Amino acid sequence: MRSQDKIRNFSIIAHIDHGKSTLADRLLEQCQAVSQREMEEQLLDNMDLERERGITIKARAVRMEYKADDGETYHINLIDTPGHVDFNYEVSRSLAACEGALLVVDAAQGIEAQTLGNTYLAIDAGLEVLPIVNKIDLPAADPQRVKQEIEDIIGVPAMDAPEISAKMGINIHDVMEDIVANVPAPNGDENKPLRALIFDSQYDPYKGVIVYMRLMDGHIKAGMKVKMMATGAEFQVIECGYLHPLGLSPQDALYAGEVGYFTASIKKVSDTRVGDTVTEVDNPTSEPLAGYRPAQPMVYCGIYTEDGSKYPDLRDALEKLQLNDAALSFEPESSVALGFGFRCGFLGMLHMEIIQERLEREFDLNLVTTLPSVIYEIVKTDGTTVYCDNPHDYPDPAQIEEAREPFVKASIITPQEFVGNIMPMCQERRSIFKDMVYLDSTLVELHYEMPTNEIIYDFFDALKARTKGYASLDYELSDYRKSDLVKVDMLLNGDQVDALSFIAHKDMAYARARRICEKLKDNIPRQLFEVPIQAAIGGKVIARETVKAMRKDVLAKCYGGDITRKKKLLEKQKEGKKKMRSLGTVQVPTEAFLAVLKLDDE
Amino acid sequence: MNKLGLYIHIPFCASKCSYCDFYSFAANDNQINEYIKALIKEIKSWSEKCKQYVVDTVYFGGGTPSLIGGERLAEIIKTIYNSFNVGLDAEITVECNPDSINEDLLLNLKKVNVNRLSIGVQAMQDDMLKRLSRRHTALQAKHAVKLAKKYGFNNISLDLMYALPNQTIDMVLDSLNQMLELEPVHLSCYALKVEEGTPLSKQNPILPDEDISADMYNAICETLKKHGFEHYEISNWAKSGYYSRHNSRYWDLSEYLGIGSSAHSLFNGKRFEYSANINDFILGVKPIEEEHINGFGQAEEFIMLALRTSKGINSFEYEQKFNKPFKPIAKALKKYIAYGFVQNIDNTWNFTEKGFLVSNTILSDVLTSVE
Repeated sequence: MRSQDKIRNFSIIAHIDHGKSTLADRLLEQCQAVSQREMEEQLLDNMDLERERGITIKARAVRMEYKADDGETYHINLIDTPGHVDFNYEVSRSLAACEGALLVVDAAQGIEAQTLGNTYLAIDAGLEVLPIVNKIDLPAADPQRVKQEIEDIIGVPAMDAPEISAKMGINIHDVMEDIVANVPAPNGDENKPLRALIFDSQYDPYKGVIVYMRLMDGHIKAGMKVKMMATGAEFQVIECGYLHPLGLSPQDALYAGEVGYFTASIKKVSDTRVGDTVTEVDNPTSEPLAGYRPAQPMVYCGIYTEDGSKYPDLRDALEKLQLNDAALSFEPESSVALGFGFRCGFLGMLHMEIIQERLEREFDLNLVTTLPSVIYEIVKTDGTTVYCDNPHDYPDPAQIEEAREPFVKASIITPQEFVGNIMPMCQERRSIFKDMVYLDSTLVELHYEMPTNEIIYDFFDALKARTKGYASLDYELSDYRKSDLVKVDMLLNGDQVDALSFIAHKDMAYARARRICEKLKDNIPRQLFEVPIQAAIGGKVIARETVKAMRKDVLAKCYGGDITRKKKLLEKQKEGKKKMRSLGTVQVPTEAFLAVLKLDDE
Repeated sequence: MNKLGLYIHIPFCASKCSYCDFYSFAANDNQINEYIKALIKEIKSWSEKCKQYVVDTVYFGGGTPSLIGGERLAEIIKTIYNSFNVGLDAEITVECNPDSINEDLLLNLKKVNVNRLSIGVQAMQDDMLKRLSRRHTALQAKHAVKLAKKYGFNNISLDLMYALPNQTIDMVLDSLNQMLELEPVHLSCYALKVEEGTPLSKQNPILPDEDISADMYNAICETLKKHGFEHYEISNWAKSGYYSRHNSRYWDLSEYLGIGSSAHSLFNGKRFEYSANINDFILGVKPIEEEHINGFGQAEEFIMLALRTSKGINSFEYEQKFNKPFKPIAKALKKYIAYGFVQNIDNTWNFTEKGFLVSNTILSDVLTSVE
C-alpha cells in the first residue's frame, strides 16, 4: 500500500482582503511550482470577475511539491474556497476534501467576523486549523494581541503561529513547515472500492467536464468505469491526473489521499454535482460520502435582453454558463412587457448578480431583469399543492387554501457594538429572534429565523452597511411556514405590466408598492400624455403616482441655416427611443426596470 | 431661373452676452477690415457659380452686423449687387442690436436697398438685460425701433427671449406688450437654452421649469394671436405678408449660400460650412461639406424642417419631391391627431401650437417609424 504520509491537503480561510490570493502565490513560489515569469499575479483566481470583485467564485485546486527541512519531499494540495454565503455548500465540500485549513488573520485588524463562519465550518468538518498572522509589515501590526484573540475566540493554539507578510514574502517558509508538521496526512484505504469526493468541476470545450476530486479510498485510472452515486450517471474515465498550477498533469492512476481530476467526455457539469461521490461501477462502495446536497436554487428572476432580437444569444449564453455551473437553472418564459426571456434560478443574490454580470460582460448582452422571487408553497382549495416562483403563476386568491413562504435559519456574527444596528433591521424584516451567544468579550453570534424573501433583496448589503462590513451572515433553508401573502400588480396607464408584479407578505406589500411607484415615476420620462402608475392587489389600488404629461420638448432655433445640431439631437432622441419598451401606450426605458430592481440599494 | 438666398456672417460683437456660445467676439478695427476684405473677395469668387440664380433674399447675421457700421455694410451689399443677379424685390435683412442703431447706419442701409431689420430687443426689463450682458436698456431699444421707423424701415422684426433666469410669465408678457407697442410686423420668440461653458451657466441660474416655460410659450401664442399675428413657424410670428422669406428657405429646403466664418449653405444639393475661425476665413480657407448625420437623408431633413412651419407638409408635394410614399409618415403622424398635437386637413399635415411645443418627441418618433 502506498504511503499517504507525504501528502498534505489544505484550504485557506481569510477575510476578503486579508491576502489569501497573495499568500497562495507565495506558497507556489516556495515550491517553485511556477516560475516567477510564468506566474500570473494571483494565479488561483482566474476569472476576471473574481479579480475585480476580489472574491473567489469557483473553487480551484493546485498541487505543489515541497522539499521540507526534514529532507523529505511532500505533495501539498491547496484547495481554494469561495467566500460568500451563497456558496456555503461549495465551501463545505472544499473543506471536506482537506485535513487542514490555514486561517489567515490580519496582524493589525485581528480576526474578522466574516472568517469565523468558515472557520467553524472547518472545525466542524474535523480539520486542523492553523492560524497564520499576516501583514506583520504594517505599522499597526500587533501579532501578540492577534494571537491571543485567536485563542480566545476560536480556541485553537496560536502562540506558535507563523508571523508573515505575504506581500513582502516574509516567513513564507514557516508556513510551509507548519503545513508539513501540523496538517494531518490523509488516511484513506486504497484497497477499498473507489470513493472520491467531487468538490468542483469545470467545462472544457475539448475534454468535456473536468471533475475536481479528492480520493478518499481506492484508486482511479483511465479506462475505469465510474458512477456518480447521486446522479447515477456512469462514465468511462479517459484521463486522470494532478492539478498543476499551469494546467493538468495526466497520470496513470490516482490513489487514496490524493487530489486531482478526471475527464470522461462528460457533456454537462450537472452530471457531476459538487459533493457527489464517485465510485467504480464494477466494484462499487456501499456507502457514499456524507454531506451531499443537490444544488437548490433559492432565488428566481426573469432575465431578458434589452434588444428583444438577442433572445437566441441569451439562450446560447445561458447554456454555456450552465456547462460550468450546475447551480444555475433556467427555462423559457415570456412577458408582455419584456418579450421572450428565461426564468432563472440561483443559489442566492450574489450568484444571481455574478451570472447577470457574466452574461453582460462575457457575452456582450444588455439585460433587463425582473424582481427576484423565492419559491412559495401554495395549498389550493382543491387540495393540491403548487410551488410558485413567478408572480405570473400565482393562483387566484379565491383558490388558495393556505400560502406558505420559505424561512431560513440565519446566523450573524458581529462585533457586539453593532448589535443595536442589526436587531431593528431584522425586526423590520419579520425575523424571529432566537438567541444571542457571546463568542468572546467583543464578538457575538445572533440567531434568527427569517423569511427568505426578506433576506434575498438586500439584507446582506444592508448588514454590511450597518456594521461597517464587520458582520458575517450564514443561512440555510429551514422550512415553509404559513404566511399572509399577496400578489401585487403594477399598472401603467391602466395596463398591467407583468414584469413588475411581485409576491410579498401583506404587511410589506404597501411600502414596497409605494417605493416601486415612486421609482417608476422618477425613471419614466414624461410622455405626451399623463401616465398614472398604480399598484393593486386584486382590483384594489394600494399606491399611486402620476407621471405628468410632457409640456415642452422643442429646439427653438435653427441658427443661420445650421441644422446639424438639430439633426444630432433628433438622432440622439431616436436612439434613446429604441431603448424604450412600449408597454401599451407608454414608453418605458430599461433604466426604470433596473431602478425597480435596485429598489433597496439606497 | 432658380432662386437663391444669400447669408452673410459678421462674427463680431461689441461684447459677449452672458448666454452666447457662438463664435463671435469683440474685434479691433484692423481685424474687422481684414475680415471684410476677405468677405468681399469670397463673395466675388461665388459670382460665376451663381450666374444661373436670382438672389431674392439677403440676410446679414451675426454676431452683430450693425456693429461694423453702415458704410462697411453698404460696401458689402454693393459687392453683392455687382456679383449676383439680385432680384428687384429682394428681401434684404440686417440683424441689429439697439445700441448700434443710429442715423448714419440707417441712412447707409437705406441707400443700398436694405428693407428689413431684425432687432435684438430680447427683454424690456433693464435688470434682466443687464443680467444677460446686453449693452442696451429698454428705453434705448424703444428709441432704436422708433428711429428705424422714422427712416422708413417698416419691415421690422423684434427678438424676444423667454424662460430667462428668475423670469415669470408676467415679465414675459410685460416685455412682449412693450414690444407690441412699437408695432413690429414680425416677432421671433426663443426660449433661453443655457449652454455649457457660458458665463451664464457658471452663475447656476434659477430657470423656469418645463411647465412654466410651456406656459410662457402658450401666453406668447395667445397674446400674439390677439394682436393679429400669424404663428407661421415654431418660434416665429408675423403679420400677413411679412413672413421672413430668407428664414423660410431653411424650412422648405430652398437653396441658400452662406458666406463668412461658420456660415452654412445648402447649395446645389450639398450642405457645407466655412470654418468657424475667422483667421481661416481671412486666409481664404474654402468651405467643407457638413458632417453627415446617419439617418438623415433629404427627405428626413424635409420632414424635420417643414413641420416646423404652420404650413406643414403637403403629401403630394413630398411624394413628388422625393419620389417616396408619404404613407408611413402619415401613419406615424396620425396617432397624434387625437391628442391635438397634429392636424391633417386635406393632404396637408402640420403641428398645432400644442404640437410645436413637443415637436422633438413627435419628430423623433415619426423619423424612427420611417426608418
